[in-house]
Amino acid sequence: MADVEVVDPKKCLEESCKPKCVKPLLEYQACVKRIQDDESGHKHCTGQYFDYWQCVDKCVGPKLFAELK
Amino acid sequence: MVGGGVIQQILRRKLHSQSAATPVLSWFASKKVHEDAAASSSGVRALALLGAGVTGLLSFSTVASADEAEHGLACPDYPWPHDGILSSYDHASIRRGHQVYQQVCASCHSMSLISYRDLVGVAYTEEEAKAMAAEIEVVDGPNDEGEMFTRPGKLSDRLPQPYANESAARFANGGAYPPDLSLITKARHNGQNYVFALLTGYRDPPAGISIREGLHYNPYFPGGAIAMPKMLNDEAVEYEDGVPATEAQMGKDVVSFLSWAAEPEMEERKLMGFKWIFLLSLALLQAAYYRRLKWSVLKSRKLVLDVVN
Repeated sequence: MADVEVVDPKKCLEESCKPKCVKPLLEYQACVKRIQDDESGHKHCTGQYFDYWQCVDKCVGPKLFAELK
Repeated sequence: MVGGGVIQQILRRKLHSQSAATPVLSWFASKKVHEDAAASSSGVRALALLGAGVTGLLSFSTVASADEAEHGLACPDYPWPHDGILSSYDHASIRRGHQVYQQVCASCHSMSLISYRDLVGVAYTEEEAKAMAAEIEVVDGPNDEGEMFTRPGKLSDRLPQPYANESAARFANGGAYPPDLSLITKARHNGQNYVFALLTGYRDPPAGISIREGLHYNPYFPGGAIAMPKMLNDEAVEYEDGVPATEAQMGKDVVSFLSWAAEPEMEERKLMGFKWIFLLSLALLQAAYYRRLKWSVLKSRKLVLDVVN
């Protein structure tokens, strides 16, 4: 048997769902830029990060199990 | 807290300026008019209570939104094959999931409520389960000489525990206790989806968040910093049935196994539920018919008023 490279379907689907979630992704990237020069260490982008991943999860959720045995 | 005080002041000013803006406000205004001198304090008290209540509500909402990391990212709902009203477990998945548990998780997590005999007929044949049990050493005794001895495992033995007690487990894992997994999908809110999301959700932390040495970032874990490292990596396990062992596949299989472990009665429960709901519906129809039959005598009465002047 040839060496088949195993690709994780979840990562694959998350990549394909990225275009659907561009808006929260851009919000997150804007936040990253905003806090780049922060010295206090108190600023973080958890909110935008959660919004983005919640969008991706909602997109991936119904489709993932169809790819698995 | 400061914001709450400011809001209270704004409310007071608004109430003073708009006397009849809403029914509530007009009630307050009329109250002030009716009860003057001595009793005006009760009107002020009511106003203060309203202000305090609104402040409490508003400050609660602001605090809750700032602590989203504390609750963890909400996990999505996955379409588990055993979700339907008459759906059984995917037993092939349970078998693979047990293999994942044994090879990946059992080094740290106990499942002390499951015995080898519970696996018979669910994931393994009796011979396979016996052979698996025989691979472990169990302390038994005392024997006739009063000594404890070790023997190979039997079907009636529980799955082996990696640590002797919780303290040993904490000591070996930097103070964190790897919980027993026998009931984990019932012991966590939205357990099945949560465990799957957690196991497959290890990601880089967001900008501005740093996790200390020894912990790992997982957005689904309340607080975000979990002691367990990412354990499911592609092809960490080689499945007997040849299914490709991707991270997501292993996650699905191990959660199916854990769901079965927490709710082994699920299939029988669903069958019983379907049967009895059906029978009771028939019984309901019968009871309704019988009630109306018996009451028809009264319901079809004719009452005559015979008034004599």
